[in-house]
Amino acid sequence: MATSGSVLLEARDITKSFAGTKALVGAGLTLRAGQTHALLGANGAGKSTLSRVVSGHVRRDNGTIHYEERPLDFKSPREALDAGIAMVMQETSLASDLSVVENIFLPELRHPGRLSFPAMRRRANEILADLGQDRTVSLDSEVRDLSVAQRQLVEIAKALALKSNLIIFDEPTASLSPSEVERLFDIIGRLEDAGCAIVFVSHRLEEVFAIADEITVMREGRTVATSLPTSSLNQTELVRLMVGRDLGSIFTGSAGSKTLQKNPILSARHLNAPPLVRDVSFDLHRGEILGLGGLVGAGRSEVVETLFGLRQRAAGELFLDGEPFAPRSPSQAIRAGLGFVAEDRRRQSIVPDLSVRENLMLGHLGARRGFGLGYRSLDGKIRDLMQRLELSSDRLDDDNLLNFSGGMQQKIIIARWLLLEPKVLILDEPTKGVDIGTRASIYTILRDIAARGTAIVIISSEFQELLGLADRVIVISDGLSIADVPSANLDEEKLTLLAAPRSSMERNQRILRDLAAEHNGAAFWAILDEERMFCLNCVAANPSTDLGFHAGSTTRFEETPIGAALAARSEDFVFDPKSGLSSILVDVKSHRDHELGSIGLVLGRSQPVPASASLRASIIERFRATV
Amino acid sequence: MTPTTHSTGPEMKDAPRSYLKMFSRLEVRMLGLALVVAITLSILSPYFLKAANLLNLLDQSVVVGIVAIGMTFVILTGGIDLSVGSVAGLTGVILGLSLRHFPIPVSVFLAVLSGAGIGLFSGFLIAYFDVAAFVITLGVMAIGRSLAYIFSGQTSITDIPPEINDLVYTTVFGIQSNVLTLLALYALAWAYLAYTKGGRTIYAVGSNREAARTAGLSVLYYSVLPYVISGALSAVAATLMSAQILSIDPLAGNLLELDAIAAVVIGGASLYGGRGTIIGTLIGVFIMVMIRNGLNLLGVSPFWQGSAIGGIIIAAVLAERLLNPKARR
Repeated sequence: MATSGSVLLEARDITKSFAGTKALVGAGLTLRAGQTHALLGANGAGKSTLSRVVSGHVRRDNGTIHYEERPLDFKSPREALDAGIAMVMQETSLASDLSVVENIFLPELRHPGRLSFPAMRRRANEILADLGQDRTVSLDSEVRDLSVAQRQLVEIAKALALKSNLIIFDEPTASLSPSEVERLFDIIGRLEDAGCAIVFVSHRLEEVFAIADEITVMREGRTVATSLPTSSLNQTELVRLMVGRDLGSIFTGSAGSKTLQKNPILSARHLNAPPLVRDVSFDLHRGEILGLGGLVGAGRSEVVETLFGLRQRAAGELFLDGEPFAPRSPSQAIRAGLGFVAEDRRRQSIVPDLSVRENLMLGHLGARRGFGLGYRSLDGKIRDLMQRLELSSDRLDDDNLLNFSGGMQQKIIIARWLLLEPKVLILDEPTKGVDIGTRASIYTILRDIAARGTAIVIISSEFQELLGLADRVIVISDGLSIADVPSANLDEEKLTLLAAPRSSMERNQRILRDLAAEHNGAAFWAILDEERMFCLNCVAANPSTDLGFHAGSTTRFEETPIGAALAARSEDFVFDPKSGLSSILVDVKSHRDHELGSIGLVLGRSQPVPASASLRASIIERFRATV
Repeated sequence: MTPTTHSTGPEMKDAPRSYLKMFSRLEVRMLGLALVVAITLSILSPYFLKAANLLNLLDQSVVVGIVAIGMTFVILTGGIDLSVGSVAGLTGVILGLSLRHFPIPVSVFLAVLSGAGIGLFSGFLIAYFDVAAFVITLGVMAIGRSLAYIFSGQTSITDIPPEINDLVYTTVFGIQSNVLTLLALYALAWAYLAYTKGGRTIYAVGSNREAARTAGLSVLYYSVLPYVISGALSAVAATLMSAQILSIDPLAGNLLELDAIAAVVIGGASLYGGRGTIIGTLIGVFIMVMIRNGLNLLGVSPFWQGSAIGGIIIAAVLAERLLNPKARR
């Protein structure tokens, strides 16, 4: 095994296209033995594709990979495994009917001859003991009975059984509880000590800071920062790298501030639909385009599926036009005036055996009561619609929608719902796999129907698109609606920071709550620049300390009641004579010394001011312990 | 599948083409196959084209033809109904027992109603609990046959009123009423599948269940309905069968499901659902009956007939898969 710190694998100028879409355009990666390397990027930046190229799941089009100083060209994951490169996937690749020990040694099955179960058990026990996890899972359990974390452990053991010295973790913490995350980090630490190189792909910036030695950032299929030492970066810089600065001009028509009707057309209150939707509330108004922002897997799609009756809610309330609304099926939602352009066109929208025209009519058919088809009566409407969508009516007589380009398909599916003139139109990733020209015309149509009074909910993982299109953004993170921000007040950077799932968010909240309660004041967590603050979280225990900002809001210092303190950045409490509030700001860091913004404590007029030195120390200590 | 644009371009401007195209696909190919079979047989056996034999062919198509309608509905939704043969047997016995107490129309109604009830039972289990149709209908097949034996006392029921014969042998314009029933049912089924919300929903459900649900279609209802239709039509077939021979055997309809499935498949339907037509099924029925009849006329041993039918099924499915690019999934 290579000595710690020496280069184990070097990939350069990797390119890869899938069906014409460029997934990677000049990506690189350098991995060192005994180190953990984080691979970061926004949704669709190419992290997964690059990992899969390295692990042999996907063949590259161009570029070079050197592994232990030899050129490599894997034709299958099998070859990569033989060379010592293993990948622990989001969706695990275990055989769920076999036992743990059988799964660990699954690759042995391709060797001829008898299997020695006692030897296999002995080896499996050794591997698990080396990881300190021999008590976490029983060798004889069937894999189907294991938790996600246990399955992951089995995958890791499987990789180690093959003597892998490069292990790629693709979003390993996405479905783990905080304590399971801790255990995984412990395992990764031991792997490092044993000289393995680790690739850690994650959206969770705090975790990256917690365990990575080096960071490579990807954007739009390119590596934009290679092997930066983690200690040289802070969260804000990292987000800036992930997001990039070049914003397109396609969204210039962005709405700005609209005057909205007072009564929302659709309201959600504490919506809960386990496992992914935990507590989501928002209001939607006529003529408004509302964005649901967040990361893949944050529960955005599940929220809209609940609105549309595709998923049953466990708790919470919905109101449509002020009336309680409880759709138990899509047909009820459609008849109530909702439309839904689903995320996966092939699976959820296109009926391949019906003609294009009938695909267009499918929503009409679903909404229709009665025995016949009623297609004829719609001819005029369809002609208009085709014109607005810049589609030739001739194409309706084609017999297979799947032969159309992604953009054309999406136009037909959108037309399916526009035909019904819905009050609320929901679109889940409407421009996925859609070319740029068609995107522009989809945006135009959406703005157009919003101007005519339709309320629109849009989900998009492209934050640029979301911010350009939506009037307001609800940020969903880990199934919670954590912020409701006019998009004019947001940029991609802030959205990324807000959307990043904080494995420690709840503990964080608890710290602020405790702090506010102990001092009978208000506590907040924010990121400050020269003149503005961006609030990440805020808790007030005492009504007299209302700060006028909340999670997700960006405020200029002088607009807050504690402007003096924010500008002064003193080590001590600063009294603001205008509001009569005293406040202290404490910069906090993770236990790897990464800046995580500032914690503020605000006390009312009559509150006793505690000794600032010990308070600072206690806040820093509490915060450090959580991340 | 690679994205193609073969059907775009200037040739699309000829509007009537689209209507022609609808018909040009499967049915026409199948009709061609039927003609080839017919011509071959008429060359091999001069008796084949005689009017008497042609009427005989129609008569022989009735039972399997009626059952194949229900089977088409079921297969369009992506399901299968293995129980049609034994449901025909059981509902035949129910008809025979009812005739001892009730007049003919009431007895027929009871038989059809029980067929529909059995279909409702299987269809509900399959659609609501999302269980494999193969397994449920296999179970119902065994239960149906066993009940048929128990209810009939293991013997043929022969004490049925001879007037029931009229259901088969009343002639209108020289055509037997059982053949007319067959044609009327095909016309109804064709209109339903092509021109009603329910018919199109059945196609959509079979082609992409998830998309049908998202578009607000009643997926559950239209997944169950085909089994109800299939059960009811099995009873209709059993009625006509009993009326023809004035005797009801608990073993009646044995292996009928195989002929019905074969006819639907030869008619071009996809067992994955969503693709197939009622006209195609009718042609499939005729092809099967013609081959049986032709082989009989030619004096081929009945033991060879199975091989012939089996060969045709395999050839038809392979041809469809190779000729029609859309059939490749």
